[in-house]
Amino acid sequence: MLTPDNTNHKTPEERDLTHAAILNVLEDYQENAASSNRQSRAILNILEDLETSNRVLESKTAQMAEAAEALLQKNAIDTAILESIGDGIIVTDSLGRITFVNRAFVQMTGWNAAEVAGGDIQGVLPIENANGVREDFLPDVIEAVLSGTHYTSDTSKPYFYVRKDGTKFPASSIITPVRLHGQVVGLVTSFRNITREMDIDKAKTEFVSLASHQLRSPLSAINWYTEMLLAGDVGPITEGQEKYLCEVYKGNQRMITLVNALLNVTRMSLGTFILEPEPIEIIPLLQNVVAEQQPDIEKKNLHVRTRVNLPISTIESDTKLLRMVLQNLVSNAIKYTPPGGNIDLALELDPSNQYLRFTVTDTGCGIPLKQHPHIFTRLFRADNVRTQDIEGTGLGLYIVKAIIENSGGRVWFESEENIGSIFHVELPLSSTVIT
Amino acid sequence: MNTQTTPALGKTILVIEDDAALLAAISGKLERSGFSVITARSVENAFTVEFTQSNPNHLTATTIEAALSHLKALEQINAIWLDHNLIGEEDGLDFIVKFKANGGTWSTIPIFVISNSANPELIKTYSELDVHHYYLKAEHRLEDIIAEITTVLTGGEVTDPV
Repeated sequence: MLTPDNTNHKTPEERDLTHAAILNVLEDYQENAASSNRQSRAILNILEDLETSNRVLESKTAQMAEAAEALLQKNAIDTAILESIGDGIIVTDSLGRITFVNRAFVQMTGWNAAEVAGGDIQGVLPIENANGVREDFLPDVIEAVLSGTHYTSDTSKPYFYVRKDGTKFPASSIITPVRLHGQVVGLVTSFRNITREMDIDKAKTEFVSLASHQLRSPLSAINWYTEMLLAGDVGPITEGQEKYLCEVYKGNQRMITLVNALLNVTRMSLGTFILEPEPIEIIPLLQNVVAEQQPDIEKKNLHVRTRVNLPISTIESDTKLLRMVLQNLVSNAIKYTPPGGNIDLALELDPSNQYLRFTVTDTGCGIPLKQHPHIFTRLFRADNVRTQDIEGTGLGLYIVKAIIENSGGRVWFESEENIGSIFHVELPLSSTVIT
Repeated sequence: MNTQTTPALGKTILVIEDDAALLAAISGKLERSGFSVITARSVENAFTVEFTQSNPNHLTATTIEAALSHLKALEQINAIWLDHNLIGEEDGLDFIVKFKANGGTWSTIPIFVISNSANPELIKTYSELDVHHYYLKAEHRLEDIIAEITTVLTGGEVTDPV
C-alpha cells in the first residue's frame, strides 16, 4: 500500500506515474472482478442447465424403464402367442439354423425345443415326396425366400415331414422371410398336418371314381343293346323307332363322355394319371383330331384353317394326354362358334425354341369379361353358353389346364364376348414327368 | 336288316364277363357273327366244368371244380374275350396268369380284354401279359370289337391300338 508519507518524498512526475500505475491496477482489478462475475454467472447457468438436463434424464430413464417393462411384457405375449399357435412354427436364421420352434412343432415332430436349437432345419425335419423319396427343394425355397419372396406349398402335391421317430405326416406349409430394417435376416415356416384333409379329399375322389366306374357298366349295356336294335339283330325296326333309338344312343354317348371326363378329373386329383412321354408326330395328331370333328365342322359350315410353322416334327409328350388337350380346345372352338364362323389353328415354336405353341382362334361367342378368372375352374360354365343351351360338362378346360401344367407348360387366353376367343398353349418340347 | 356274314364260323370264343346283361349281349352278337361261344362269369367258372350246350354254338359252364379234367373243352377255343372285374375275388389278371401257367398251345390263344377300367397302370399290366388288345368297353361298339377279333383270327392284323 502507498502511504501519504511515501508520496511526499516523490517528485510530481513520480507521483503521476504511481497514480497511473494505481489506476491501471484498479482498472485490472475491476476488469478481473467483472470477468469473475461473468464466469460465476456462466457457471451458475451451466449448473442450472445441468440440473434441468438431469431432471429430463431422470424422467427419460423412468420412461425408458417403463417402455422396457412394456416391451418385455409384449415380448412375453408375442412369444406366448407364437408358442400357442396351432400351426407348427420354425424360425431360422439366414443360414437355415433353427432359432425358435413352438409347442405345435414339438407336438407334431417329436423333437423338443432344446434339441433342435441351432440345428439345421433340413436335418431336423427332412422332407419326402409321396413316394418316400427325399426332396431337396428346400435350399431353393430358402434362397428364394431369403431374396424376399414367400413360398406356399402346393396342397395338390403334398409332401411329407419326417418326425424324430422316422414316421411321417403330410404337411402344407408357408415360408415367409423375416425382415428387419428392410433386410431379410431369416425365415419363418408355418406348417400344418393335413392328413385329415387328404383323407377326406381322397375319399371324395375315390367315391367319384368308383361311381363313374360303376356307371360305365350300365352305359355299356345301353350302348350295346341299342346298337343291336339299330342293327336289326332282333328284327327289323321302323323309321320312327330308328330315330328314337338314335336319340337314346346319342344321349348315352354324351353320358359316356361326361363319365370319362369325371374319371379323368378324379384321376388327376388322385395323382394316378401316368405320363408316358414318347416322341409324337404333332401335325398328324392335330389333323387326326380335326378329322374326328369334321362332321360338326361341316354341319355348322365352319372355316377351319391350320397354320403350321415348325422346324420340328415331333414333340416328346404323352399321346393320350396331348390328344385330350387338342381335342378339348378344338371341340370348344367348334362348339362355341356360330355357323359360318372361322377357326384358326396354329402350331409354332415360342421365341426361345423351347416350347411348342398351339393357338386356337375362333369367332365364337367369347367369354364374358367378369368370368375370365373362373374359366379353368372345375365344373364352371360361362353364363352366355349356359343360357344359349350349348352342351358341355364344365370339365374340359379344367382338364386341359391340369394336363398342361403337370407337363411343365402353360395355357392362357384372350376373349371378348360376341367377338371370339384365342386360346394359347405352350408345352415344353421335351416333357417333364407328370405327377 | 339282319345281313350278317359269318366269317368266323367254326371259331370258338371263351367269354368271361361278370355282368349278365352284357354277357348276354356279347354272346348273342358273337353267335350271330358265327362264333361258338363258351361263357363264364368268374375265373373259377372259366376253368371248371360240366359244359352244357344250350344251343349248338353256346356252351355254359355250370359247375365248379375239376378244372383240369375239363381242360380239353377249353382247348378248342380260338380266342378269349375277357373282362377285368369278375365275380369273386379273382379278376382278369388272375385268369391270365392261371391260364398261361398251363403253357403249350394255350399261351398262343389271343386274349382280348374288354373292360370298363381305364386305369393306365392296369392297361399296362395287361399289355405286359401279352394280351392282344385292350378295349374300353363303353367306348367301342360290339360290332367293331367283333370285327377286329375276326380279323385277328382269320390272319389279319388290327392296326388301331388299344
